[in-house]
Amino acid sequence: MRGISKHFGGLQALKDVDLTLHAGELLAIVGDNGAGKSTLIKVLTGVYPPDGGSISLDGQPVRVPSRRASIDLGIDAVYQNLALVDYLTAPENVYLGNEIKRSVLGITVLDNRGMRKNAAEVLNERLGVALGNIDQMTFNLSGGQRQAVAIARALIQQKVRILILDEPTAALGPEEARRTLEVVQRLKGKDMGIIMISHQLEHVFELADRIMVMRRGRLAGVRTVAQTTRQEILGLIVGSISDYEADGGRSGASAPVAS
Amino acid sequence: MSVPMVAAGRERKQPVFERYLNILGPLAMILALGVIMAIFEPRFFRITNIRIILQDAAIYMVLGMAMTLVITGAGIDLSIGSISALSAIVMAIFIKDLNVAVYVAMLLALIVGIGCGLVNGLIITLLRVPDLIATLSTDLVFRGLALVLAAGAVLQRFPEPIPAIGRGRILNDTIPIPIIIGVAVLLVGVFIYRYTPLGRYAIAIGGNRESAMLAGINVRRNKVYHYMLMGAAAALAGIMLTGRLNAVQATVAEGFALHTIAAVVVGGTVLFGGRGTMMGTLVGVILLSMVTNALVILRMAFFWQLVASGVIILASVAFYSYLERRGKGGSE
Repeated sequence: MRGISKHFGGLQALKDVDLTLHAGELLAIVGDNGAGKSTLIKVLTGVYPPDGGSISLDGQPVRVPSRRASIDLGIDAVYQNLALVDYLTAPENVYLGNEIKRSVLGITVLDNRGMRKNAAEVLNERLGVALGNIDQMTFNLSGGQRQAVAIARALIQQKVRILILDEPTAALGPEEARRTLEVVQRLKGKDMGIIMISHQLEHVFELADRIMVMRRGRLAGVRTVAQTTRQEILGLIVGSISDYEADGGRSGASAPVAS
Repeated sequence: MSVPMVAAGRERKQPVFERYLNILGPLAMILALGVIMAIFEPRFFRITNIRIILQDAAIYMVLGMAMTLVITGAGIDLSIGSISALSAIVMAIFIKDLNVAVYVAMLLALIVGIGCGLVNGLIITLLRVPDLIATLSTDLVFRGLALVLAAGAVLQRFPEPIPAIGRGRILNDTIPIPIIIGVAVLLVGVFIYRYTPLGRYAIAIGGNRESAMLAGINVRRNKVYHYMLMGAAAALAGIMLTGRLNAVQATVAEGFALHTIAAVVVGGTVLFGGRGTMMGTLVGVILLSMVTNALVILRMAFFWQLVASGVIILASVAFYSYLERRGKGGSE
């Protein structure tokens, strides 16, 4: 993503943000509330059309006009609120919008049994999460289980190139957060790139390869985990250190509108 | 949401039971009504009377199927009575005044119904008028059109198969055709609900619209489909009603919308969307028809039917509210 901008009415949510993700890498995005992290990934996943900038995948420029388009490109996200439907079962949620179908007497119907089996497989084997009864409604599940269902949803796509996790541990207790991090750890290193938004720097330092810091809708800096310190990242988050605004090179003419 | 671990220890072993728990309320009421009638008026159980009850319920089965889908998708359609009247009037005019073949006229009625549903759906999704207001308004529009077209006339005596659809019987004159149509339509509804994306997406849209969108579901298109299906069902109901009376005028089917919505809600479909059952709707439809019939048989004044229907709707919704509070551990 290069030079992404987005504003809502008079509010400049993103200004000229660049993002690069390599295959097999985990990139963490950190930043204060309102720094534009969630907006950025919603642009990448086709929820919000950007006002400016370009996106390319494998060097090819792509357009992501809709959520559907992003899924088809292999860009999938686990949103902060998980986007699950409470009164559907785990398999029904996992396959929502991507149902497996089969043909019975020439009529195309949902293959509920197949979806159930595959979803159980992904949850148990790839994510190492047991649900007990797989047919229970999702509102019955614990926070960690719900998180796993949301992640499974991305994993059953034909080709996930980029998986985005928006605050995967924010709503969880310590125990469940730990388990979810283990799930992310398991996924890492397969040939997809992962973008993880997080407030918790300890998690970020534990899992990420690189850290991208956002501040007030702009890129504040990018660091390799091996070559940075918590102190430096914190400085970038609060604005006491800045790669760009200090030399005036990229800050643009107008002052940030958000306050 | 705020207490993530809360539900872990509370998993149930019988999800099927849980899914259909809702039907128990109205089923219990049907049973209670049966006991009361067994004591006060055994004639209630005669085959002829049960046939009357089911025949009366048949039209609402057709309407209830589509309405269950509409309501599950967080919609509501108040215009269905007018759609029934308008499609029936159009059909009648084509048959009586224009001498069009009866099957062609019936097809036209369905097209009118689907068209009305399409109009509802487009107003709701493109103009973003709330479902309630949109269909409240189109109810007036469709009714007005029916009145204009019919110009006060009562059209009657239709060729077969219209009377057969409304009041015919098959198998040695035992089983009324409208009941077969009603049950068949409801079975199609069960199928839609369980085995098609249309049904699954309705639950998703009604349960969590944003989640549905994020899953890549085209919410607007699905909502339009719901209303088109509702329109088709209303047209079929209009044909059935015309056949039953072998006559039609522009003022028929006035109470369709509220009666159908009541039956769907009594059956356990949540009025705000996201949850519903076709079987529940079947039970709800039958319960309301039984009550009406019981009061007639007991020779109570018509007005008591209104009182009874109201009480039943309140009782069921209170029952679901109670289940909800208990089920969610008092958190909602």
